[in-house]
Amino acid sequence: MLPFSYALRNLFRDPSRLLQTVGGSAVVVLLLIAAVALNQGMDSVLSASGSSQNVILLGKGSEESIERSEVGIDAESAAATSISGLKEILGVTAISGEITYQAPIRTASGVEEQALLRGVFETALLVHETVRLTEGAFPGPGEVMVGHLAHRKLGVTQKDLAIGKSLYFGDSEITISGQFTAPGTVLESEIWFDRNDLASLTQRDSLSSITLRLAEGDIDDVELFTFQRNDLELASIREDLYYQKLSLFYEPIKIMTWVTAALVAAGAIFGGLNTLYAAFAARIKEMATLQSIGYTRTALFISLIQESLLATLSGTLIAFILAWLFLDGQTVPFSVGTFTLTLTPGVIFTGLITGVLLGSLGTLPPAIRCLLPSLPKALRSH
Amino acid sequence: MNPLISIKSVSKTFSKGNTTIKPLENLSLDVPRGEFLSLMGPSGSGKTTLLNLIAGIDSPTSGEILIDGRDIAHLSRTELTKWRSVHVGYIFQLYHLVPILSAYENIELPLLLGKLSKAERKEKILAALDLVGLGDRADHRPSELSGGQEQRVAIARAIVHDPDLLVADEPTGDLDRDSADSILTLLNTLATEHEKTIVMVTHDPKASAAAHRTMQLEKGRLVEESRTPLSSLS
Repeated sequence: MLPFSYALRNLFRDPSRLLQTVGGSAVVVLLLIAAVALNQGMDSVLSASGSSQNVILLGKGSEESIERSEVGIDAESAAATSISGLKEILGVTAISGEITYQAPIRTASGVEEQALLRGVFETALLVHETVRLTEGAFPGPGEVMVGHLAHRKLGVTQKDLAIGKSLYFGDSEITISGQFTAPGTVLESEIWFDRNDLASLTQRDSLSSITLRLAEGDIDDVELFTFQRNDLELASIREDLYYQKLSLFYEPIKIMTWVTAALVAAGAIFGGLNTLYAAFAARIKEMATLQSIGYTRTALFISLIQESLLATLSGTLIAFILAWLFLDGQTVPFSVGTFTLTLTPGVIFTGLITGVLLGSLGTLPPAIRCLLPSLPKALRSH
Repeated sequence: MNPLISIKSVSKTFSKGNTTIKPLENLSLDVPRGEFLSLMGPSGSGKTTLLNLIAGIDSPTSGEILIDGRDIAHLSRTELTKWRSVHVGYIFQLYHLVPILSAYENIELPLLLGKLSKAERKEKILAALDLVGLGDRADHRPSELSGGQEQRVAIARAIVHDPDLLVADEPTGDLDRDSADSILTLLNTLATEHEKTIVMVTHDPKASAAAHRTMQLEKGRLVEESRTPLSSLS
């Protein structure tokens, strides 16, 4: 076996080639890390947003989108009295009729951006158990409370959404009365209005949905209600399943992320392979000399693998550092919320495997080209 | 006494497209242990092919190649590689030193294939460096050495693991006269005083004169043999 120092020193034979290989693998690994983190972040925020204990009642035919759904206001009281097994907290039934709406909101600094608005009463806190009011008060008339990540959706700073600041819906001024968290869920990017206010601002006389929290009851009880009260034209879906379906809606975006990452990575891989080809081709005679001394092709192949692994794993390390500095913890807004990019063990493992595969599989074609020719022919090469 | 090298009816055939080339045809040759043999001949006469067969770099199409009684003609590529690591030292025209390694490390390469300790390796490398007269150049890289010095390092690398057989392909072809003479003297010393069997390919009659015996090849056959008078060798 050739000493490891041989592989190490070979790396620095041609600094520009080393730079290309390390840079190329850093780009590939960084792209894959970003793609995995992006998709995992989106999946995780959507899966955390729904609870299997919650059931959403929507207008029949609008099961795909809460925003397009319309439910009569009287359906809320009918559901509360007719469905058995709903959770009760301090004598209050955990049921929340809500208006969900997307509309441009302007901040006091003049920034106007599409925002996720939810019109609720305080009972919303009984069904959305992840929501915690961290500062201020639940919104009354003329007020809103903002999610911890709503500023990312609006593209402003957190200070712009401080308590006491104003927001504008059309010409109407609303004051921020509170701030809330709902860790890891899409709710955290929303702006919650008093339900009557939002109904009036959006000129609606109906709800978008009703969310129920089950105690000992199950979805069958809710479905029975929707059949019995056919006149209300309701459909039911478990909240976690709703977000699962929503996740499928984003599948094309995820595929596009992978395709883009794969295309850029392919370019970097071909560039890297080309560099390795050039680096190894220049050493065909040296490899042949080492074989004439008595080194087997396996020993030389291992040394070449060590060499390229050193380069690609250095690139991987650089990618991890860049990802840690510029990706980890970054929040990314999307149409129904905001998610956080996190360097989870899964993301790091993917990056590491990519680095190892680049170094090992990427070495195969140039190494074969370098070691396959007959020894007399290789010794004569230039 | 049995010869170290015994070649019996060896032929080598290459195919290039539809053409068949026969660089060696039914060649037989014995080389006694400790002999310094020179192979001469015009380009394409088959001398390098013969050298590669003797060194186990290539295999013949037919015939036997016995080195110290072992037929290497039918060994696999891996078996030949392992055989070379023990029995052969190869000296190239252009030295073929690894540029990123020092003279010491280049010479150490064959020893790393064995089971010697670091101290044992050091002892052998320093002895080889002294033998080729480069005791003070151990830490130099090939780029810091002259052509003659590089070839001396290459010779030290070829002999450090104490093989019976040294093969040299135009070892003085890239050197000036003075350097060439000193290399030839060194090779002659290795054969005469250290009982190494040396087979050298050369175009240079002066280089050939340093060998004990010269054989002329033409179109893959041995056509002439001459012995160098002992008086001119000294």
